Order: sequence, then C-alpha cells, then structure tokens
Amino acid sequence: MVLVSARTALHVLFIKIIVFIKKNMKNQDLVDYLRSCGVCGVCQLRYLKARGSEYKDVKETLRKLDVEVNEIVENGEAAISPEDRPAKKARRGICSTCLGLFSEDFQMELLAGILASDFAKYDCQKIVLAICLPMSLQLKQLAMWFALQRKFGAAVDGNNPPDVPIKEAVKLILHPIICEKLSKEYDANGLMINIDLTHKLEDEEVEKLVKLNKDAFPAKAAYQKRIEISRGLLEKQYQPSKVKAETFEKYFEIPCSTVEEPLKLTSIDLQGPLVCVAGRYRKLSRELSHTPWVMNGQRLMEDSIEEIIIRHVGPHFTERLDKITFMSSGREDVDVRCLGKGRPFVLEIPNAIRSCLSKEKAYKMEQAVDTSGKVSVLNLQVVAREDLTQIKTGEEQKKKFYRALCALKEPVSVEILSKLQIPQSFDIQQKTPIRVLHRRPLHTRPRTIYSVKAKVQRGNPKALVIDIVTQAGTYIKELVHGEFGRTTPSLSSILGKHIDIQALDVVGIDLEWPPEVDNSTPTEEGATNIR
Amino acid sequence: MSVQSDDPLEPFYFEHEDQVICGQSVSPITDGFQEDYPSVVDRFFTRYYYFKGDVPYQVLYHSNRICLVCLAPDHPALCQGISTVNFDIGNVDRSQNVVKGKGKKGGMILQAESTLALLTTDTGETFKVPSCIRGKLVEVNTALVQEPKLLEQLPEGAGFFAILLPKIENCDAIKASLLTQEQYEERLKIIKEKKSKIEISDDKQDSLRTEEPLQIVQINLET
Repeated sequence: MVLVSARTALHVLFIKIIVFIKKNMKNQDLVDYLRSCGVCGVCQLRYLKARGSEYKDVKETLRKLDVEVNEIVENGEAAISPEDRPAKKARRGICSTCLGLFSEDFQMELLAGILASDFAKYDCQKIVLAICLPMSLQLKQLAMWFALQRKFGAAVDGNNPPDVPIKEAVKLILHPIICEKLSKEYDANGLMINIDLTHKLEDEEVEKLVKLNKDAFPAKAAYQKRIEISRGLLEKQYQPSKVKAETFEKYFEIPCSTVEEPLKLTSIDLQGPLVCVAGRYRKLSRELSHTPWVMNGQRLMEDSIEEIIIRHVGPHFTERLDKITFMSSGREDVDVRCLGKGRPFVLEIPNAIRSCLSKEKAYKMEQAVDTSGKVSVLNLQVVAREDLTQIKTGEEQKKKFYRALCALKEPVSVEILSKLQIPQSFDIQQKTPIRVLHRRPLHTRPRTIYSVKAKVQRGNPKALVIDIVTQAGTYIKELVHGEFGRTTPSLSSILGKHIDIQALDVVGIDLEWPPEVDNSTPTEEGATNIR
Repeated sequence: MSVQSDDPLEPFYFEHEDQVICGQSVSPITDGFQEDYPSVVDRFFTRYYYFKGDVPYQVLYHSNRICLVCLAPDHPALCQGISTVNFDIGNVDRSQNVVKGKGKKGGMILQAESTLALLTTDTGETFKVPSCIRGKLVEVNTALVQEPKLLEQLPEGAGFFAILLPKIENCDAIKASLLTQEQYEERLKIIKEKKSKIEISDDKQDSLRTEEPLQIVQINLET
C-alpha cells in the first residue's frame, strides 16, 4: 500500500515537472525569439498575454513566468536608470512592434504634452485617453503574427491574435500610468485627452498597403473603384487566416524590420465631458419668449428663458455659452406663464471644464436666476446623459395642466358652467393653428382632453377660469375658441356660444423628472428663518 | 335668507391659490381680464377687401401672411339667403386640394380672379367666389358645403371659404391691390350713391336693388 501510493506520488510529480518544463520552454522560446526581433519588454508581456497589473513591473512578471531576464530587457526598458542611459542615444532600441508606444520616454513626452495643454483649466477628476494610432502599428502586429506562425507553427492561431492587442494594451498600460501621474481616475465619460500619433513611414506603408489590398482581395478590388484603407478594414480583414503570408511578404517584411524613428506625438487636444444640467423652470412674465425670438435678423424680444438660465448656470461649466443647448419638455407661448412646479428642462454643455455642481453652487444659481424677476429655476442638478430621453417623452406623452382665463359675451349661467364641468376625457380633432401654419405642415391631429373644469370670477360673471387637462401637444387657445371651426369640438362648440381666451397659465406638467432636490442648504435655510 | 346662499353661482367661484416665485407673489390669472378685449380677428388679422364687379369679398390677412377668404359683410348673397356652396367649380374641384409638408407642396396655385367656389342664393343667383389674392391654396372649408346656412350666422372669420398662403415677396403687391377697411367703406358709399341715383332715374327694380335698404342699415351699424 505504502509502496503503491509512493509510486503514484512520484509519477504525478514527474508529470508535473514535464508540464512545467514544457510551458517554461515555450515562454522562454517565445521571449527569446521576440527579443531577437527587437521587441521591448512590455510587448514581450503582451505576447505572453499578460493581464492588467502584470505590466506594472516587467522584470517581476517575466520572472514569475520563469522567463530569464537579460540585459536587453534592462537596456530597452523602463527600468533603466538615468546614469546608465546614454545622453544622446536615448532613442536606441525602439521596439519593432509598438514603435516605442510603451517606452518610458514616450510616457514622459506624453505627460509633458498633457501638462503643457489646457489641462489645468479642467476641473475634472476623471479622464480618458483617446489615442489615434498610425496604421503602421497595426502592420507591425500583423508581421509579427506571421513571424510567430512560421516559428512556432500550429501553436499560433490564425484567427485570434497571439498578443494582447495594442488598443487593449493602451488601456492596460498607458491609462493607469497616466492616470496615476496626473492623479486622476479613469472614466469613459471623463475629460477626453485626444492624442494624435504619427509615424514617419506611415504614408509609404499605406501606399504599399493599397497594393497589397488589391493583391490579397482581388475580388473586392474588381468592383470597388476606390479602396478605402481604414483601421477598421485592417482589424477585420488582415489576419493570417484571411491573408497569405506570402502575399503579405511581397510588400512587407516578416518579421518586421527594426525602425529608426519612434512614433511621433503630433497633437494633444482636450475635450471636456458633455455635462447635462437639469431642473424645472417657472415663468412669471407674459412677455418673455422661450428661446431668442429673431425675425428678419432683428430681435423681437429682449431676453428669453433660454438665455436667462444659461447666463446664470453656464459660466460654471464653460466659457462658451453659445455652445450650450437648451431643451425642455415642451414649451409655452410668449404670453403664457408657467407656474406650479414648473417645466423640466436640460442644458447640454459640451466640452465642460467641470462636471460636478455642489448644492451650494446650485442654490446660488437658483437665486441668481430669481433676480431676473421673470424666470425661476428649481431642482438644479447634474444628470446622466442617458436620462435625457425623459425630457422628450415628457414632451410627447405626458399630461399637461392648464388654467385659462376666458371671456363670454354674456354673463355666465349655471347652465353654461355645468356644460364646462367635464370630468371624463374626450377626443378632439385639431388642425394646425393658423398662427403656425405658415411654417408647419397642415395636419389634423387627434388629441385627448382629460378634463375640463370651469369657475367664474366673483363679481365678474363674464370671466371664466377654466382648468383644462390635456394630452401633450394640444393647442389650448384654439381648443377654447375653436379657431373658425378648425378645432372640433372646442369649448365654444360645446357651449354653442362665443367664448374667447384672454390669458393662459401652465400649472402642471405630469413628468416626475428631474428628481426633486432642495438645494438650499440647512444653514442658509436657518438664516432665512431668522430673518 | 342671506344673499350669498341665494347665489346659484356660489359653488363655481374661482379661488386663487397663493404661490411665490422669484420672491414675488404670483398674481391671480383674473387680474388680466379686459372688458374690451379685441376679438381673434382683431388680434391677429388685418381686414382687406376685394371687389368682383360691385360684389365685395373679404380677405383676413394674418400677421404671418396666411390669408382667409370670406364674404364681405355687405355681400349681397348674405341678404338673399345662402342656398349652396360648391368647391367643384366645373373644371376642377377645389376640395380635392392636398398639401404636403412645411412648404404646402401640391397646393393649387391661384390667381386673384381664379374661382374658388360657387355660391347660389335662395333667390337663385349664382356667385363665383374669387380667390381675391395670388397664392397657394392650403385648405378649403368643406363644412360650408354641408351647411351653407352657416355663412349667415357664423361670427367673423368662421365663414371662410379657404386658406391661402401668398409668397412672401408678393405680399406688399397683394396688399396694395386690395382695399383697406377705409377704402372699402368709401367704395361702398360710392356704389350706394350710384345705385340710388339709378333708382331715382329708373323705376324698374330688380331683385338685387330691393335688398339695398337693408344693406345700408348694415353699413351704418358697421361704421
């Protein structure tokens, strides 16, 4: 018994050693080969399919993978100490697969470039790098893929790349380093740092690629007059399973030759995040348009809701107030007030310098808007871009509550008032009102009126105050007087009497978005109470 | 019994709810009530007139250049009683007009003299209602076909025959070609005088002339 188990144990151990050696051999072979082709340490790890944190310390990871760390690695790599670096020849040993993208030199250059840009102007905790890489880089990867297939045969797949693709590696390697050095967090919606990289040989290689493309895909080339060589095409079509090594070799070397020049950092362009600020506005004035009202190049009204809100909210997020888009859940006419809880709106602010809004700051903005005496905003808050769909559904589907001041030609009677108490919903057909017919198509739209409830002003029996709940998109003024019979039925046709509308207020919009937020801080609230 | 409980309107009185916006108390909607509030036509339209011979038509010109073609209040048919309204004017049926999109594509292009509709009166007279202006036909009021009598009762504007959209660049010329309210009244006076002269000189009276005194009453009311 003891003997048997000892034998089994020995056997298992033996197998383990073999596997260990095999795996070891392969990694070592691979790395040795890559090194012979002038591939840098980081890219060696890419071909070893290293993951996230494993790129942090190249030597350590290589050791873990039982790969011998040799001089070449140290010389061409990040671990180089300043005194060892030859003063002028810092560029030597440019990696033949990443063209220096993962070198420390490049990191320093990139960092310096970012700091020299408008970076400091942005008050963002989150950043994202968007690097535009030359196509040469993709060709280098393909050449190495072919080379590895030749060297290691079937062990290298023809459909799936043998390395961690450059794009992914940028995320795994460059992103964490740059984020750490700038003390920022990564976020796809953060400040976008657009980095443009080019390579000296790019044009020349693209020319060759056009020829190769005709050669490799003759069928497509036959009917496509102009072949667009794109990064996407390279990614999708250029794999050993689709392009023969021999065809490729007619134009490019396998493995790729060493290069003299590293990638060149051509430009850094910053694009702040798109920030959405939502709230609800109320409108007190009957002489204020929704957006600037311009006719024949002349302003008809001095100010607008849009401008008042942007004026007070915008500067916190951007210098370019003209780039801000104002959206709201519907709109009211110039002479209509918007009361109650107000109308939901959103400001879309592109290239924002900051993406947060403190309650204190929001409250100050709300107070500043109040000083206009015409518009008031509440519930001011930064919202996710995905929530913007809410405002559009609010525009089209939600119930709207109105209060209309209407005038009869004669004093009201109980009979008339009774006819205007309609608790159940009814449908109307409404033609495009004449007042907008010159710029909108002629349609007859069915609309639902949910309820009508009329009251009379005390001491003024011709003046009715009618509360109307309608489907969004109903023209209320026309619903009241019927507009020469173009809206039917109308309150006028229901009564069989002339009735006109003198004033209108929006008193509610049935959209519970954005969420209610009380921006007045407790301390400030206390202060007002004392006053 | 108190006066209050006697008031049948008591359950219907409007109560304003207080609300503060921008630090101001929101005024009740009833504050805006105006006893002499102008009508829809007065608010948004300018009245113009077009004569076809001695027969007057009205063009309600909206500030956005949309035009409503109506009978002038002194149109003889109104006194004779309207019998039928027909948009099928023989060679073409105006009620078949279809417009598409913002540009009202496909709308019939009409000249001022183009016949818009045919109108017959209870006395058997037929009037060719002219388009009055040059423009694109947007909409015809087919309700008049079913109930021609509406024309006699409807408030101003509601008895429109059609909605036309003139070209922006033609608007000045069109307005100049039409009569303003003042010019219209002036013209009516001249026609009246002319007719009364004929009446004096000529004893033969046709049906139209018997209606004249009525018309004069109307004009006096208008002015």
